[in-house]
Amino acid sequence: MNWGIIAVDALQLACIYGTLAVGISITWSSLGLINLAYGFVFAASGYGAWMAAEHLSEHGIAVMSAGILTGALFGIVVWALAFLPIHDKPNFTMRGMIATVAIALIGNQTLMWYFGPRAKALPEIFGYAQIEYAGITLTANTAGTVVSSIVLLGLVLWWMKSSRRGLEIRAMMMNPHAASLVGIGVRRTGLYVMALTGALAGLAAVLLSQVYYVSPFAGTTPLIKGLAIALCGGLGSVAGALIAAVILAINEAITAATIGGQYVLITQFALIILIILIRPRGIAGILDRAREA
Amino acid sequence: MRVLHDLDLSVLPGERLGIVGLNGHGKSTLFLAIAGLTGWQRGSIQLNGHEVGGSRSQGPGRYTHRIVRRGLALIPQGDEIFYGLTVEEHLDSGAFTKKAWRERRQRKEWVLGIFPPLVKLMSVPVGRLSGGERRMVCLGRGLMSDASLYLVDEPSLGLAPKIGKSVLDTLMAIELGTSAMVIAEQNVSLLEGRVDRIIGMHAGKLKGEASVSLAGAMRWEA
Amino acid sequence: MSEPTPPSWKNPIAARGHSDSPDDVPIQPWQDPLAPWRDNREYKVKLHHIGHFRYYWKFRGHGSRLWHRTRWWPTRRRALLLRGGYNPKTLHAEKTISDKRPLYWIMAFALMLVMPFLVPQSLTNTLLSAAAIFAIYAAINLCWMLVIGTAGIYSLATYSVVGAAAYGTAYLSIQFGMPWWSLPFFGTFIGLGFGILIAIPALRLDGFYYALLTLGLNELCRVYVLQSRTFGSATGGLYGADTYIPEHFSAEHQLMLGYYASVVVMIAALALYRLVDGRRLGRILRMAPEKREAFAEACGVNYRRARIQVFLISSTALGAIGGFYAAHFRGASSNLFGLELVSLGLAMLVIGGTRRAEGVVIGTLIVVLMRDGLVTWGPIRLILIGVIMLAAVLFLRGGLFGIKPQFRAWRDKKKSENRSTRAEKGGEMLPEEATECRDKDEVYLRRFDKMQRDFLKTLVCAEVIEEHRRQPLGQHSEALERLMLYFRRQPQRDKYAIQAIQPFKAYRIVALSGHRGVAPREVEEKTYPTQAAAYHGVFLRRVQDLLET
Repeated sequence: MNWGIIAVDALQLACIYGTLAVGISITWSSLGLINLAYGFVFAASGYGAWMAAEHLSEHGIAVMSAGILTGALFGIVVWALAFLPIHDKPNFTMRGMIATVAIALIGNQTLMWYFGPRAKALPEIFGYAQIEYAGITLTANTAGTVVSSIVLLGLVLWWMKSSRRGLEIRAMMMNPHAASLVGIGVRRTGLYVMALTGALAGLAAVLLSQVYYVSPFAGTTPLIKGLAIALCGGLGSVAGALIAAVILAINEAITAATIGGQYVLITQFALIILIILIRPRGIAGILDRAREA
Repeated sequence: MRVLHDLDLSVLPGERLGIVGLNGHGKSTLFLAIAGLTGWQRGSIQLNGHEVGGSRSQGPGRYTHRIVRRGLALIPQGDEIFYGLTVEEHLDSGAFTKKAWRERRQRKEWVLGIFPPLVKLMSVPVGRLSGGERRMVCLGRGLMSDASLYLVDEPSLGLAPKIGKSVLDTLMAIELGTSAMVIAEQNVSLLEGRVDRIIGMHAGKLKGEASVSLAGAMRWEA
Repeated sequence: MSEPTPPSWKNPIAARGHSDSPDDVPIQPWQDPLAPWRDNREYKVKLHHIGHFRYYWKFRGHGSRLWHRTRWWPTRRRALLLRGGYNPKTLHAEKTISDKRPLYWIMAFALMLVMPFLVPQSLTNTLLSAAAIFAIYAAINLCWMLVIGTAGIYSLATYSVVGAAAYGTAYLSIQFGMPWWSLPFFGTFIGLGFGILIAIPALRLDGFYYALLTLGLNELCRVYVLQSRTFGSATGGLYGADTYIPEHFSAEHQLMLGYYASVVVMIAALALYRLVDGRRLGRILRMAPEKREAFAEACGVNYRRARIQVFLISSTALGAIGGFYAAHFRGASSNLFGLELVSLGLAMLVIGGTRRAEGVVIGTLIVVLMRDGLVTWGPIRLILIGVIMLAAVLFLRGGLFGIKPQFRAWRDKKKSENRSTRAEKGGEMLPEEATECRDKDEVYLRRFDKMQRDFLKTLVCAEVIEEHRRQPLGQHSEALERLMLYFRRQPQRDKYAIQAIQPFKAYRIVALSGHRGVAPREVEEKTYPTQAAAYHGVFLRRVQDLLET
């Protein structure tokens, strides 16, 4: 077993999974919305990046920013359709989830109708360089993925901790009623949250599309994986989602290297179910040391 | 269910008003109605001359943050806290207007001057504080913004008598300037002699007015 | 210049010489009690047209059939839920059908029976196969409704239970040559096993956490089946299972047989839904809605066990349907595990409404008609389904069949808002009351009472109260006399009375209950030293109440 390859693989997977899971976690805990249209936002930003590569430039920064901006745009679309009309109506959680399913259905079919079912390829944004180190081949792609996702995710989390909007988002995560009493508008903050998580989905789409192609239903598997990881980490805790992403990425890398790629999902879900059976609230249930009143 | 019937209340700038009444007679509902968190049918609510109760058909709480930004600070019954944020972040979250956010350091020092026990607790998550300390954090958060009207709902609820009395002492000692403060209390003895007016509330109606301080009556005639 | 003498009332029995009754009592100037009548020539409060629109079909006659009713032999269950009454205007005896849903169901079944003969010739094939798919999906969705609606477990894995059973039975049929009639039978076991497997996390997780986990399980099954050679990864599904549709039938007859068999399956699923939801298990679970399970537990109801029972029953039924699926479509394909089918299934539930079986069937009909009947439209038909689903979720609270209760609730809210804006205190009856009360004289009595009270309020003044304080009983001036006559006339309920705690020493005011055997309630703690003081206290309270109305 080549531990180096496993480590590198796990790191890359952890970065992408972490991005997805953090987005889903933040949406659930601050808005109370389970965003099942995340897969559609993912696929749409892939197409946005592709269109930028076709019509504007093939430069890495342009493609990545196009993907991120498209993701933010479609995040706002989901906000307008699934959050705004029903966020204070009864049974919002179920209705919001079903509304996002409807948006995903409409969106995926529109993508298929407009772009056709054939997959499209994104240009290599990190180049083709390779480094050899202690028997491991480190492609520029892997390095670029890891670096960019860590940097951008770190930026997002730092912004949430230190800026005023971030404070508003965190306050709303904990007590929406008190938030409106201190002048935090629920809908305005929801807009920021959805735009932010959409941008995260866009980032993940651009990074993942280096390996897999852009297609209308490309977002389904990342959505489900992201959901499962967020669930495992505790739906609402960013730290839990990151830890779960790391654990599951390591698990996937080991499985792929030892037993074979087709058993990856089985081991993943076995591990997730195990964690959830032990701790129904996820890993964050272990982290939370009576922070609540 | 109809809780409030035919109210007519006006609060002058610089005035401290006390509303007393038993539980369940509508004091909290009055504050919630002013803040837009409950529905009401007839009449108008004006803050600094602006009509603030206009759009209330959509649903409770939809426009509360806008009403709050116009200069209202509601400190509700019980403690509405953000359990994971620290005391400092709580106070920061209270300063929501742009002006208050820029001056938040001075305002924080002012609030800490009013509530000295909070100085040592600045980086503690509020979920771990005791009842009296949490009440002080909530009051401090309400004071951080430069509001024209402070609505304080039962500041001594659930606190030990000594702590409740000290909380009210600090409330009475605050320099109001042009702002006004309305305190709803069950315990009349905590308010007597220290507020400008006391109004009773019974079964959803305001009854009686006792102008407690004659000097105060002459103060804001100008 | 001297002032005009203030008016006073002279006691007519002053000449008899009672020492404690005053001779001369100062009073206010006299007010004409007929003034309200003269001033109010017409009623000034805005009156609305009110009434109750009775729109149910009414049939004449009752009476002789109260005992001999049409019943379903051998039970005592009535054929139709009839309700009898008397028309308030014409006083004829009438009856009406309270619940017309059995009639609608019968009409729907009749329509389903003759449907193949009514469709135009060119569309028969597409419509018949779409109708068969509709019936199978309706059956699956009904079992899904049992899990989500009755048991309250948000499971999104129903289609994968069906898929597992379909794959399993198709495998058995292909490898071991099992005949078609055994496939649903084996399917029940596979369904039960799979159901037990996914019920275990349901015990630990609640609500949406479980929904997300089931989504993951779907994906797991799909990927496994796509990559496993035994389960037909090369062909995208397993094909070749034994089917009940004979090969020698013509294409059209094959489709018709398939359609009727699927309708039979759907009727079986409807019967199962009715049996579980309408009987003991459903009633137990209705006692334990989402956040109030503690109440059910306090009543001794084991709702957890009931939920798991419903879940397992539903999984078994889904397994049987999966076996039928394999026999009907000659195999199974991997899109049974896909997210798209779950989305469509959610669309079917949401459009129709999750409260009733009718909603599920209608929702499935709409979605399947659009998806399988309009295939020529391409991806647009799925976009249209998505748009309808979004509209249903955003605007309707409970799907198509929830429109009526939603409209009623909105109308009631508007009515109560209007009522509170226009409430004139104490005088006019509320429109709802006025339509429903039998004796319309009550309306006029209240108006009269209001006018009288308005007049009496003008009579209350300091002199009157002073006069009563000096002499509660005996001859009084006109104003005081009118007041006291009005007070004495009031009904006994909540009327103030005096309780003698110690005769000649202590008296207290109480309020009568108006009911025989119910003790009066205490009004205040204060005790009065003399009877006259107690009378005055009662008078003051009554005046206060009068002024407050």
